[in-house]
Amino acid sequence: MRLLSSIMGAAAAVLAGLGVPAAAQDNAITVFAAASLKNVFDDIDTAFARKTGRKVVASYAASSALMKQIEQGAPADLFASADLDWMEYGTQKKLINEASRVNLLGNKLVLIATKDSKIETVAIEQNFDLAGLAGDGRIVTGDARFVPVGKYAKAALEKLGSWSPAEKKFAFVENVRAALVLVARGEAALGLVYATDAKAEPKVKVVGAFPAGSHPPIVYPVALTARAKPGAAQYLAFLQSQEAKTLFETYGFTVLIRPTS
Amino acid sequence: MIEVDIEKQLGLFSIAVRFAATGRVTALFGSSGSGKTSLVNMIAGLIAPDRGRIVCNGRLLFDAKAKVNVPPHRRRIGYVFQDGRLFPHLSVTRNLDYGRRMGRLERDHQQWDRIIDLLDLHYLLHRRPGRLSGGERQRVAIGRALLMRPQLLLLDEPLASLDATRKAEIMPYLERLRDETGVPMVYVSHHAGELRRIATTVVRIDGGRVAAIGGPELLTVADADAL
Amino acid sequence: MLDLSPDEWTAIQLSLRIAFVATLAALPPGMAIAWLLARKSFWGKALLDGLVHLPLVLPPVVTGYLLLISFGRQGAIGAFLADTLGIVFSFRWTGAALACGVMGFPLLVRAIRLSIEAVDRRLEDAAATLGADKGWVFLTVTLPLALPGVIAGMVLCFAKALGEFGATITFVSNIPGETQTISAAIYTLTQVPGGDAAALRLVVVAIAISLVALVLSEWFARRAGTRLHGG
Repeated sequence: MRLLSSIMGAAAAVLAGLGVPAAAQDNAITVFAAASLKNVFDDIDTAFARKTGRKVVASYAASSALMKQIEQGAPADLFASADLDWMEYGTQKKLINEASRVNLLGNKLVLIATKDSKIETVAIEQNFDLAGLAGDGRIVTGDARFVPVGKYAKAALEKLGSWSPAEKKFAFVENVRAALVLVARGEAALGLVYATDAKAEPKVKVVGAFPAGSHPPIVYPVALTARAKPGAAQYLAFLQSQEAKTLFETYGFTVLIRPTS
Repeated sequence: MIEVDIEKQLGLFSIAVRFAATGRVTALFGSSGSGKTSLVNMIAGLIAPDRGRIVCNGRLLFDAKAKVNVPPHRRRIGYVFQDGRLFPHLSVTRNLDYGRRMGRLERDHQQWDRIIDLLDLHYLLHRRPGRLSGGERQRVAIGRALLMRPQLLLLDEPLASLDATRKAEIMPYLERLRDETGVPMVYVSHHAGELRRIATTVVRIDGGRVAAIGGPELLTVADADAL
Repeated sequence: MLDLSPDEWTAIQLSLRIAFVATLAALPPGMAIAWLLARKSFWGKALLDGLVHLPLVLPPVVTGYLLLISFGRQGAIGAFLADTLGIVFSFRWTGAALACGVMGFPLLVRAIRLSIEAVDRRLEDAAATLGADKGWVFLTVTLPLALPGVIAGMVLCFAKALGEFGATITFVSNIPGETQTISAAIYTLTQVPGGDAAALRLVVVAIAISLVALVLSEWFARRAGTRLHGG
């Protein structure tokens, strides 16, 4: 186990190191953010750079993959997770600056299909026939064992009683964006992604929304890592600003805090 | 019976040869580098001449104008190479039988026995080429070419890679070939000594051209390389 | 002994099946192309060589993506195959085999090409004079003599298929029992809290399989070699 950890640590460090431009970016901030945050964080990072002159280097992947990399020593300054579990995991392993934690954003879980799919609107209620809807096609979402969107999806479907019949039709992918792409390409009949992802992809349409009570609340906590550089706090503050709030809401996220600036 | 009338440019060297031979053993006699091997390769079909015709026993094998070029596997011309070229992954028996199988010919036990006898191959049959001496390899190579029942047998300096003892050992077999098998031979060599014993017709090749055609009386020097 | 869960056994069996199928399916086109590159010259030869080696130099995820857009349900080739022959690659082990075969193909072709080039053409000439047409020359002379290289190529292809991850997971995702190979299973286990022990077990299995494959191939190649030169 130690051997595996060190090999993965070395690999993660190499990968993370390659992701960070060399030398002169000492004041660049490294952000590890959940895949569903890509579009909005790209805009926020540009705004931040314009405002402060500091560059932000971001790495987007499933929250699970990112936290695992941080655990192996990847040099992230800030972690933005798509669920509380992975932030908890990091806190327990003393990888997170607990005092800096903020539950920043909310999101909704939706059911999507390809733009020209015959499926129109689906009432997502108790025992709805997800398996039947999929026909002989597949339903994609993040891996239900560790990717946040997959965990929310499974929780919701189990609560609604629609999980077991549909389980065999699922295809699990590494992160929510991969699921989005597969539905956009028509490879998969249906997908479970965040409302913000569906909004960002013109080739898919939302055919149903999951009632908020069917799954644990979708909360995106953000925090500085234990080894964050001092200047990173400036970025965290910017995430809580009015300017950032406007951007988040444009993309469809709910902002859970009151802006501090 | 072979008629050859061809031209070929090989880099800076050109060959233009014309002869007809009807004898049992037609010797192609010339110094090293005179074009003998290329000529024989053209008769076998391994290279194509630029211009001309080749006819063997009345069958047209090559005609540049008529765009005829029979591929080597259909020419029924046996070829004993200077370096033997036995198949290293096959036993002697399978090497010998290769031509018959490829030609889908009926088994002929009499012919098999005759040729094994002729070349004294009995005790070699289960060996692999890797375990044969130079002389043994050449005998197997000759046997292999004969067993495909060729219309013509080409031999390109078959004794060149052998020492004097081996050469002396094999010459009688070649004479027996000439006398007992009835297969016409085209025999390439630069050694007059060998050829004197075996040739019925001699074609002297010099610098890619036919210098003279005649009988064994043309073999005036011991070695064409001295010419 | 290794205490493997049913999921882990499934991943191992699936990996072996996929790797075997990928290697066997890649062999005929691999041999044909290796022979073409070794023995023939034609317009576009360098281009063909480049195409064959593409999976070796492209990032595996890119290869997986290219497979997705050509062999997926909506892809040009994928749609045709599904409609006319009923062959489906999306989310199926056949897709994983295709991905692994494509990734291992350059290694297979290289090894076979080198061993064909090493076969003495003069032996092929001799076979021709003895009545063998091009096909028979290949089957009875070239191929037997190139066999050690062919075996080496197949083993490399098999090993690559066994370890393939990026292209496979991009093309057919990670479905237990269908496309979750050993590599994908190890990846999954490393992402799940507490899965490291199971991951390590699978790593040991993967190493063991690779070692067995290497030893077997050495043995086969050695046997083929002695058949050629021995007495």
